[in-house]
Amino acid sequence: MSELRKDLISGRWVIIATERSKRPDDFRPPAPVAAAAEAAGFCPFCEGNEAKTPPEVFALRAAGTAPDSPGWTVRVVPNKFPALTPGPPPPRASQGVFQSMEGRGVHEVIIENPVHGLDLADLPVAHIRDVLRVFQMRIRAIEGQLHYQYVQVFKNKGKEAGASLSHPHSQIVATPIVPKRVKEEIYGADRLFRTFKECAFCRILREEEALGARIIARTGHFTALAPYASRFPFEMTVLPRRHSAFFVEAREDELEALAAILKDVLTRLKVTVGDPPFNMVLHQAPNQWLSARHWPELAERSHWHIEIIPILTKVAGFEWGTGFYINPVPPETGAQFLRQA
Amino acid sequence: MKKRILLVEDEKPLCLLYEEELSREGYEVTAVTDAEAALAKLGQAEFDLIITDIRMPGKNGIDLITQIMGLRKDIPIIINSAYQSYKEDFMTWAADAYVVKSSSLDELKARIRQLLGE
Repeated sequence: MSELRKDLISGRWVIIATERSKRPDDFRPPAPVAAAAEAAGFCPFCEGNEAKTPPEVFALRAAGTAPDSPGWTVRVVPNKFPALTPGPPPPRASQGVFQSMEGRGVHEVIIENPVHGLDLADLPVAHIRDVLRVFQMRIRAIEGQLHYQYVQVFKNKGKEAGASLSHPHSQIVATPIVPKRVKEEIYGADRLFRTFKECAFCRILREEEALGARIIARTGHFTALAPYASRFPFEMTVLPRRHSAFFVEAREDELEALAAILKDVLTRLKVTVGDPPFNMVLHQAPNQWLSARHWPELAERSHWHIEIIPILTKVAGFEWGTGFYINPVPPETGAQFLRQA
Repeated sequence: MKKRILLVEDEKPLCLLYEEELSREGYEVTAVTDAEAALAKLGQAEFDLIITDIRMPGKNGIDLITQIMGLRKDIPIIINSAYQSYKEDFMTWAADAYVVKSSSLDELKARIRQLLGE
């Protein structure tokens, strides 16, 4: 089992993932087995290879087809090399000043479609909506187990973005603590709420829409923009225009609109910078049940959104040392290129 | 109508003290000394709030909360434990408050009032 260890100085928790150290795609050449198998034409996520993954926990599939058999359109399986293992977390342990806890949590893979070569942006809007709907279903199911405080949904596309298999997929990791970065966002939004007397994200949306220079795309329900202090070239944030702290609260018509704007901006990214690797990350308030109990004010102060970070530059020594990022493409320029694509 | 509290505390003298003090505050207190008895009581009657210790013989308080959450998510739960070091984790166990045991019951009473909206 993995272990969560707390950095004493920064308060950051680290997953020491012993399970993942056994991953075939190890740190050094020879070529990773999974990648080599994939290069030879085998992919465990492709339709027909269901037996090569752990048993599915959920799937959208044709009526009459059996679990773990062909006939699905979106399939959820536990990660074969999970960073965290399901179960209620026991109390923290300590050794001197060092704190740790067992690595309890959930780690699932959402295989977005059965066809290897079709990426998220290539799918029809209705299929992307189905993927988003599955995200909602899994978040709800996981949040029902109250020992998980935060559910993180993310997508790594391309090896440079952290994907070990190229078949389009997203991942869900639920953690027994609220991660530090999420807390920082909560505290920042909370502080600004007291200043603005309204949700900081709603305020940003209004000002960005009025200025227009960093807007990439806009629909009735969503706005995609290049953040004012973008850390990376062509970084994008997709924000719902209706205030909501929880992604699971997005309605059916909003999921359809989100699918459309994601397809739009990801296609623009492909056209503008040639299909780069990217990370797509859902930001939302912690577990809805726990938020209602412990941070009731979060519902009005937090605002879910999706961050898309193309991997075009490297995070290097200066960034690691200082937390400063050097972005060679001003967000206004990036947004203009993406708008014109 | 009196608010009903289920108290789970294995140390009998403490159990009696809490029962007496909380009854004096106007609550109807049902006291049990282990988790199994608590689960049985929950199946028999409605409660407005649960107070539980962590370390008890048999099932511990954390496992008890996990089991309660599988049955009911709406009853506020206070962990009342001697262990200061567990305080950071109480949210992970889905409890609503964590009160470290002390000779004064003021904090516990304040948390009860807060959770019951009094």
